[in-house]
Amino acid sequence: MTHIETSVIYNDQEYDQYEYMVQEEEWDRDLLLDPAWEKQQRKTFTAWCNSHLRKAGTQIENIEEDFRNGLKLMLLLEVISGERLPKPDRGKMRFHKIANVNKALDFIASKGVKLVSIGAEEIVDGNVKMTLGMIWTIILRFAIQDISVEGKNYAVIFIQFKTIIWKDGLAFCALIHRHRPDLIDYSKLNKDDPLGNLNLALEIAEKHLDIPKMLDAEDIVNTPKPDERAIMTYVSCFYHAFAGAEQAETAANRICKVLGVNQENEKLMEEYERLASQLLEWIRRTIPWLENRTPEKTMVSMQQKLEDFRDYRRMHKPPKVQEKCQLEINFNTLQTKLRISNRPAFMPSEGKMVSDIASAWQNLEQAEKGYEEWLLNEIRRLERLEHLAEKFRQKASIHESWAQDKEKILSRKDYESASLTEVRALLRKHEAFESDLAAHQDRVEQIAAIAQELNELDYHAVAEVNERCQRICDLWDKLGTMTQKRREALERTEKLLETIDQLFLEFAKRAAPFNNWMEGAMEDLQDMFIVHTVEEIQSLISAHEQFKATLPEADSERQAILGIQNEIQKISHSYNIVLSLTNPYSTIKSEGISAKWDKVKQLVPQRDQALQEELARQHSNERLRRQFAAQANVIGPWIQKKMEEIAHSSIEMSGTLEDQMTQLKQYEHVIVNYKPNIDKLEGDHQLIQESLIFDNKHTNYTMEHIRVGWELLLTTIARTMNEIETQILTRDAKGISQEQMNEFRASFNHFDRKKKGGMETDDFRACLISMGYDLGEVEFARIMTLVDPNGSGIVSFQSFIDFMTRETADTDTAEQVIASFRILAGDKPYILAEELRRELPPEQAQYCITRMPAYTGPGKAPGALDYSSFSTALYGESDL
Amino acid sequence: MDLYSVTLEGPAPWGFRLQGGKDFNMPLTVSRLTPGGKAAQQNVGVGDWVVSIDGVNAEGLTHVEAQNKIKACTDRLSLTLSR
Repeated sequence: MTHIETSVIYNDQEYDQYEYMVQEEEWDRDLLLDPAWEKQQRKTFTAWCNSHLRKAGTQIENIEEDFRNGLKLMLLLEVISGERLPKPDRGKMRFHKIANVNKALDFIASKGVKLVSIGAEEIVDGNVKMTLGMIWTIILRFAIQDISVEGKNYAVIFIQFKTIIWKDGLAFCALIHRHRPDLIDYSKLNKDDPLGNLNLALEIAEKHLDIPKMLDAEDIVNTPKPDERAIMTYVSCFYHAFAGAEQAETAANRICKVLGVNQENEKLMEEYERLASQLLEWIRRTIPWLENRTPEKTMVSMQQKLEDFRDYRRMHKPPKVQEKCQLEINFNTLQTKLRISNRPAFMPSEGKMVSDIASAWQNLEQAEKGYEEWLLNEIRRLERLEHLAEKFRQKASIHESWAQDKEKILSRKDYESASLTEVRALLRKHEAFESDLAAHQDRVEQIAAIAQELNELDYHAVAEVNERCQRICDLWDKLGTMTQKRREALERTEKLLETIDQLFLEFAKRAAPFNNWMEGAMEDLQDMFIVHTVEEIQSLISAHEQFKATLPEADSERQAILGIQNEIQKISHSYNIVLSLTNPYSTIKSEGISAKWDKVKQLVPQRDQALQEELARQHSNERLRRQFAAQANVIGPWIQKKMEEIAHSSIEMSGTLEDQMTQLKQYEHVIVNYKPNIDKLEGDHQLIQESLIFDNKHTNYTMEHIRVGWELLLTTIARTMNEIETQILTRDAKGISQEQMNEFRASFNHFDRKKKGGMETDDFRACLISMGYDLGEVEFARIMTLVDPNGSGIVSFQSFIDFMTRETADTDTAEQVIASFRILAGDKPYILAEELRRELPPEQAQYCITRMPAYTGPGKAPGALDYSSFSTALYGESDL
Repeated sequence: MDLYSVTLEGPAPWGFRLQGGKDFNMPLTVSRLTPGGKAAQQNVGVGDWVVSIDGVNAEGLTHVEAQNKIKACTDRLSLTLSR
C-alpha cells in the first residue's frame, strides 16, 4: 500500500454534515477569487452537470448561461435527486425565470441546504460566481454529502483532502485502483509522470467509469494549486461512481440478492410449479390406473395386479409422497421467504394451488383405497369363484360318476321273473336306492346352487358350467321318473306275487289238514280192529256212520282247495308271471288230493263190509261167553262151598281123626265125580279161547279161577287128608291121646284168630304164654325158627303139634349126634376116615368124609376130621 | 335194623353159638352167648344177625361155609352184625 492509499483509508468517525457545510461556505468566498480555479471549476462543473443532464437527454455548454432560465437547473435537480420538482413556468419573461430558479433553490433548501447569499436573480442574471457557487452547493449536497462507502462517511476524506496530492495523478489512479483494480496496474505507474498518470486516470475514468473528463490534465499539472472544488467535484464523481458502483454493487448485490432471492424464489416457484405439475401429472396418470376396474379372469393375474399395487405403494408412491412433502415444504419455504423478503405471497398458477394438490392427492388416496378394496374384493371374488368352480367340478364329477350306471340299473326288468322274496328284496334295494337318491337330491341342489352363485358372481367360464349343470339336472329328473316307474312296477309285481303267495298259503293251510284228514281217514278205514264185545263193534260201526256223514262236507272242502289252485293258475296266466308255480308252503299237489279222495271213497264200503262181518262174529262170541258163564257161575260157588266144608271139617274137632278121614274121603269122591263138569267147562273155554275171547263179563270166574280152584280143591282135600294122616302118625308116634289132640286143636283154633288153619307169630306167642311158657324174646325167636323154619310167619297145626311134642320127646339133637360120633371115634375128639367107612354105610361115610372139616384142635392126628362142628352144622348150630 | 361191628381179639373160642345158614333157609344168627366170653364182652347180642364175617358178606353162605370162615380167623375176628 502506498502512502496515498493509506491516506484514503476511511475514518470511522462521522462528521456532521452541517458543520462541514458551514466551513465550506466560509471557504467559498475566499476561493472564488482565483480565475484559474474559475476555469477549472467551470470545466469540471459543466462536465459534471452534463454527466447528469445526459440522462435527461440534454446538455449545457455554458454553465452561467444555460442555467439562467432555470429550466435546466430544475431538470438537473430532478435528475440528481430522482424527485419531481413543481412544474416549471413556461414563460420567457424574467419573472418566469426567477420563479423557476426559485423553485430550484427552494428544492435545494428543502433538502436541508442553507443557501446563503445565493439568490435567484443572480442566477437569472448569469452571475458566474453565484452560479458556480450554487452548482458547487448542489454538488456538495447531492454528490459529496451523500457519499458513503460501506456506511462510512467519506466526509472525513475531505478534511484530509487538502493533504492529498492530486497533482501527480497517482491519487486518481489509486482511487481507481482501489475500486477497480482490474482497470489499472498501479505498480506500473510512475510517480514522475503526473501528466501521464492524470491522463491515464482521466481516460480510464471516462472509458470505464463513465466519468466525463471534467479536468484538464495540463491545467492541473501546470497550476501550482488546482481548484479544490473542481477536483473535489471530479473526485466525488469517482466516489459516486464507486459508491454508485459500490452502491450499484451493493445495489447490485442487493439487487442480486433480491434478484437472487427473486430468482431463487422464481426458481422455487418454477420448481414448485414444475413439481406440482409433475405430481399432478403423475396423479392424473395414476388415478385412472387406480380407477381401472377391469376384472381379470384368473386369480393369478389379479394377484399380479395386487402385487403391482403393492409395488406402487412400496416403491412408486413413497417418492411421490416425498415429492408432495417436498412440494409443501417448498411452498412453505417459498412463502416464508417471500414474506421475509417482503414479497407478495406466492400464488401458484391455476390448478396448481395447494388446495388443488391437496384435493388431487386426496383423490389419489381415495382412488388407492378404492382400488385396494376393489383388488381385495376381486381377489376374494375370484378366489371364491375359483373355489366354487372347483367345488362345482368336483361335485359334478362325483355326482356324474354316481349317476352313471343308475340309469341302466333302473331300466332293468329283473322283477318279471323273480319270486316274491326276490321281488321283496328288490323292493328293499329299491327303497335303499330311493333314499340314496333323496340324499343325492341335496347334492344336486347344491350343485345347482353353486352354478347359480357362479352365474351371479359372473364366472368367466359360466356357460360350460351351466351346460353341465343342465345335463346333471336333466339326468336327475330322468332318474327320478325312472325310479318312480320302477317302484310302481315292483310294487305291482309284489302285489301280484303276494296274492299268489296268499293263495298258496291258503291252499297249504287247507290242503294240509285236509290231506291229513284224508290220510287219517284212509288209515282209519283200513284200520285193523280188534273188538271183543258187541258194543265195541257197534260203536265202531256208528263211528263209521258218523264218518260217512262228514264226507259231503269234506268233498266241498276238497273242491274249495282245488278251486284255490285254479285261481292261482288263472292269475299267473293273466298277468304273465313267469315263475314256477310250486307251492312253497306245501308239497301237496291237487292231483295228490284227488287221488287220495278217490281212495277214500273206495275204502268206505270196504269198511262197511268188514265191520258187519265183525259184528256177526261178536254176536257169536257173546253167545259162547254166556254159555261159559252159565256153567262157571255154578261150578265156582260149588268149589267154594266144598273148600269151606273141607276147611271146616279140619278145624272142627268132631269125631276122631279117622272119622275126619272118612268124611274127607267122601268129599273126595264127590269132587272126583264132579270132574266132568270141569271138563265141559274146559271145552267151552277152549272154544272161547279159539275165538280169541279174552274176557267175560257174565261171570267173574275165569277158567283159571275155576282151574285153580279145582286144583286147590283137589290139593286141599289131599293135603287135608294128608294132615289128618300125619296127625294120626304123630299121634301114634308120640302117643298123644285124642283128648290131647283135641286140646292142642282147641288151643290152636283159639289162637288162630283169623281161622286160617295157621297161627301168626303173635298168635303163637300168645298161645305159648297161655300155656305157661315164660319166654324171653331170644328164646321165642329160637322157637320161631324151629316152628317156622321157612319164615313164612305162619305156624301150621302140624308145626304146632311138632313143637308141643318135641319139648317132651326125645329127639335127636346135635349133642346126641356128637355123642354117637364120639362112640364111633373111640372117644377121640376127632374121627378118622377109615373109622367112618368101617361103621357107616359107604354112601353116608363118604358123605361125612367129604363134608367134615379137618380137626384143628389139640392132639390132632393126620386125617383127623372134626365131627363136632359137622354135627352142629347139620342142625344149623355151631359153637364158635 | 342196627348195624354194628365188633372185632374180637384171638385166639378162639369166641364165645357164641352160630345158627342158620342158606342151607337151613335161616339167616345166620347168634343163638347163644357164653357168659363172659369174648363175644359177650364186646356186647354181641343173642338173636343178632351176622351180616358179614371178616368183611365178607355172610348172606348166601351155608352154615358150614360160615363156620369155616370164622374158624379161619385165628388172630382177630371182625364181624358186622345187625340187632
